Amino acid sequence: MSDTVISHVTSEPRPVRAALIGFAVLAMALLVGAPLITVFAEALTDGLPVALESLSHPEAVDAIRLTLIVAAVSVPLNAIFGIAAAWTITKFQFKGKALLLTLIDIPFSVSPVVAGLCIVLTFGANSAFGGWLVANGFPVVFALPGIILASMFVTFPFVAREIIPVMIEQGRSEEEAALTLGASGWRVFFTVTLPNIRWALLYGVLLCNARAMGEFGAVAVVSGKIRGLTATMPISIEMLYNEYQSVAAFSMAAVLALLALVTLALKTLLEWRYASQLAANRRH
Amino acid sequence: MIVQRSPMPGFALGLGVTLTMLSIVVLIPIVALFVEGFSAGLPALWGSATSPRVAASLWLSFRLSLIAAVINLGLGLVLAWVLTRYRFPGRRILDAAVDLPFALPTAVAGIALTALYAPNGAFGSLFKEMGVKIAYTQWGILIALIFVGLPFVTRTVQPVVEEIEREVEEASATLGASRFYTIRRVILPLLMPAALTGFGLSLARAVGEYGSVIFIAGNLPFKTEIAPLLIVIKLEEYDDPAAAAIGIAMLAISFGLLLIINLVQIISRRRIGHV
Amino acid sequence: MQIDIDEISKLFGATAALHPVSLALPSGALVALLGPSGSGKTTLLRILGGLEFPDTGRVLFDGQDATGLTVQERRAGFVFQSYALFRHMTVFENIAYGLRARGRQRPAEAEITRRVTRLLELIQLPDIGKRYPTQLSGGQRQRVALARALAIEPRMLLLDEPFGALDAKVRKELRQGLRDIHDTTGLTTVFVTHDQDEAMELADLVVVMSMGRIEQIGRPQDIRARPASDFVRSFISA
Repeated sequence: MSDTVISHVTSEPRPVRAALIGFAVLAMALLVGAPLITVFAEALTDGLPVALESLSHPEAVDAIRLTLIVAAVSVPLNAIFGIAAAWTITKFQFKGKALLLTLIDIPFSVSPVVAGLCIVLTFGANSAFGGWLVANGFPVVFALPGIILASMFVTFPFVAREIIPVMIEQGRSEEEAALTLGASGWRVFFTVTLPNIRWALLYGVLLCNARAMGEFGAVAVVSGKIRGLTATMPISIEMLYNEYQSVAAFSMAAVLALLALVTLALKTLLEWRYASQLAANRRH
Repeated sequence: MIVQRSPMPGFALGLGVTLTMLSIVVLIPIVALFVEGFSAGLPALWGSATSPRVAASLWLSFRLSLIAAVINLGLGLVLAWVLTRYRFPGRRILDAAVDLPFALPTAVAGIALTALYAPNGAFGSLFKEMGVKIAYTQWGILIALIFVGLPFVTRTVQPVVEEIEREVEEASATLGASRFYTIRRVILPLLMPAALTGFGLSLARAVGEYGSVIFIAGNLPFKTEIAPLLIVIKLEEYDDPAAAAIGIAMLAISFGLLLIINLVQIISRRRIGHV
Repeated sequence: MQIDIDEISKLFGATAALHPVSLALPSGALVALLGPSGSGKTTLLRILGGLEFPDTGRVLFDGQDATGLTVQERRAGFVFQSYALFRHMTVFENIAYGLRARGRQRPAEAEITRRVTRLLELIQLPDIGKRYPTQLSGGQRQRVALARALAIEPRMLLLDEPFGALDAKVRKELRQGLRDIHDTTGLTTVFVTHDQDEAMELADLVVVMSMGRIEQIGRPQDIRARPASDFVRSFISA
């Protein structure tokens, strides 16, 4: 009844509230706001035209194209994995389900550099399998496939984690109803399941994409940093920065920062509009 | 795996895709890490992981991550409280901004923090006047680790703040407790399990962090060289077993932390119903 | 303690939760605030406990103006509908909470133990001190909430739907329990209920409320014999 009125009993005195809000705003401004502003300020040191010009260099264009290719391959593959895993885990009872869930979560607790290291040790020219791949003209490490694998490793649980809770919550009665009406398995999936999870799926894809395009540690280990060939945007930021090409580095960084801001905006929008259709405990 | 009979189609396909992709992308590479690490035997692995330079880097990563996580614990509790309980202009933007360290690529954060805290940077020059050097010292690493770990505690605590019943706080007040006493004895203990989960996640993230740290760190062996960077260096020296040893040590730290988090959750769940 | 409510009113936004109401509750009475939801009975109870402040009017405790007293200063034993037990504390710590919260005036540890033990005996659950609230039944929780409220040696006892969360059988048993505790302590006791049986069976004095107004005040038998309005007649016969 009195929920809309700030209660004098369950709130702090006004000066304490003001101090805490002030502290929160100040801490966020210094810790998060200042670095963000720095990215754009440094990019625009010599004006917008110079910044844009640095982005049109062939090497910059190559980096942007490579990053887009990596995202275009790894994100859909992870979405397919997420859907397959969620379908298996939420629609069936089987032994080892808890273990499977734990295994899916492993990449969350692995350092990106260790992830890259794992890929190198598996597919690198020094390993038996990697040596065979190189001999057959299909190098993985220091090439595009390795970058894709590294990006997939670090983003692996993103989609599954968003849609599994939603699918658990929705149960399987709607799918069962569709089956009794004679729909085929694929038809049930496309006409019943997918529409029910579309916002959660989009949410997961959004996060997965942002991370895949921005991944640095894992890619740095596998990329070999070959200009124009295996330098993604984050890698080329590092290379430019270490060559003291500050404006070019920060211009590239500004593009990724914009991507992060757009991702955050879309994510917040999804949380406002479709809160009930997203993973209820996504903040846990 | 034994599956119960189900009218639902697609089990074989779903499980097949799941296990195949999981194996190729995650499981086989992790197994390869252990194979490489143990290839020269356990003593060699132990020797690599505890050689002075590696031990120094692991200790540096862990120690600074611990300090950063403690700071983020306090900061996250305040942020979660302010964002959930108070209404003020800009609250929603502040709430969304908490996720920025998740969303901003680490390399971007790394060069931005370095530019900011370098001796000629906006904040760095202020500290320089006070005689404190931030960038290229352990202070710089600490700031980068606080940045990347910032969202964890806030995001784990926020839903718990929302769930606290007003009646519980009112009950405390009717029993004569001051607001401060209520926060200390009733609210904080209720938030603690979630806060510790966030603390553990923040710590695990910081221990493995690379991109946002290496630009600001200075990367001097024994002083400002973090463990993930040493992996990269060992790889560049073609010393795969040493790199694998550090990787295994870091995995052990991460999984140890996760184990502790889960234990905390299980214990508090047994006591107070849910976390 | 005698409680006087003098022309109290309360608005929530644009809706009046309480029109000016006045009420005198004699010392040591067991009083029921009876009415449907939205009748203002809980708001009135919360104003007595200091959890809400009235827009107009005064609350008098033994003739002294208590309107400005904070919730901590009221010393009203309040039992919430959900019981609001602290789930991270044992039953013992829950009951001891109000004593420990006193800061400098907190009793010695031996005295706290003595008082909590006595209260556990009063609610006839002497052996549950070490348990956590999640390990108790609904009826046990209600009695622990009562003991916790009594631990601060309150000047009055206020209960918001004390039996609302219980099933029918436990409800009947605990009614007598509340009556006994009231008779033992002699505290002026006010409880809110929407169950006319409960009000009629338990209370010395029943206050029937509707739409933020008091419809009738009287002893149960008088209200039953002479309902003051159509609303009261239909509500008590429901």
